[in-house]
Amino acid sequence: MKLSLLVVTVIALGAAGAGPAAAHHSAAAMDFQNTVEIEGVVQEIEVVNPHLTLVLRVTDERGTRDIEFEGHSRNNVYRAGWRPDIVKVGDTITIRVAPMRDGSDGGYVTAFETASGERVGV
Amino acid sequence: MFKTLTACLRYASVTVLLTGTAWAQAEAPDFTGVWTNYRGPGGGGGRGGPALPLTAEAQAKVADYQSLVSPTGETPGGHCLGTGMPGSMLGSGGYPMEIIQRPDQITIIYEAHNEIRRVYFGERIIPESDRFPERNGYSTGRWEGDTLVVDTTQLREQVDQRYAHSDQARIVERYTMSEEDGRKVLTAEMTMTDPVFLTEPFSAVKRWSIVPNGFLMTYECNEPNWHRVLDELRAERDSAGPEGTQP
Repeated sequence: MKLSLLVVTVIALGAAGAGPAAAHHSAAAMDFQNTVEIEGVVQEIEVVNPHLTLVLRVTDERGTRDIEFEGHSRNNVYRAGWRPDIVKVGDTITIRVAPMRDGSDGGYVTAFETASGERVGV
Repeated sequence: MFKTLTACLRYASVTVLLTGTAWAQAEAPDFTGVWTNYRGPGGGGGRGGPALPLTAEAQAKVADYQSLVSPTGETPGGHCLGTGMPGSMLGSGGYPMEIIQRPDQITIIYEAHNEIRRVYFGERIIPESDRFPERNGYSTGRWEGDTLVVDTTQLREQVDQRYAHSDQARIVERYTMSEEDGRKVLTAEMTMTDPVFLTEPFSAVKRWSIVPNGFLMTYECNEPNWHRVLDELRAERDSAGPEGTQP
């Protein structure tokens, strides 16, 4: 499954000057040039401005754990195809993420594919 | 006789003034609509370009601010605070902007952070002494033929945007509308002068394309912060126990 970058990736960060909110990570700490795809089960999702937040239960070679991600604003993902309730807690989804440069868990969500195959940002 | 002549001259002057105003309003192009970044040849402009010609005082203030926010990447937008002029205008388009035009006022809404600018004309312009300094300043407008000239002052000193400026800054924007492949294009030529922060005027050009039947979304942003406040209050109340709730 391949997801394309949201075309608004750079615009969203730059035009609004809307960097990550307090208690989140600096955009400079994320690698937007080398995005990765991650599959997991949605534990929490809040699609708001200035940034959405998503907690995904991920299983990989490092084990199973809940990872918190942030991502584009509600307005940006809406224009990229997101609609209310297309992602629910318990859904298995795939996200495209600008990962943390230091290799730690987390990152910035730039696109995702829902459980029913709808693509946001593609 | 003299009084009659004076009255006639006054009437003639008023007639000329009224006719001139009516002509300007009738002939002015209508910028009303939703606009997004121009993506044709040359791009939309607005961002990038030469560095601001900052004075030593301004450089020190910007460096101090950057030393605060660079380690964490904090931004005003991350805290739901608008960018302020000229960043709000030069950055708009990634999120669209809407223009609502009346003869006596033009309202510009930038979707990001719900920033709103009101450009006043004629009698709607209040004295400078009655204006508050704001991040988007106070804007007055006038028409020079088909060109809308917007003059913005009463800005707050800002080092928390790309286009740092003092509260003495003045921004003049000249808006013209053209058509390209059947689609309206809006161009703003902007010049910012600032005797405190800039060693010379700074100029930039920004372009937008019309979005047919476009719309803006509300940029709700503060509700999660408010919910966090309620959570803290709830935790504080509940930790006090039953006795803490007694009057």
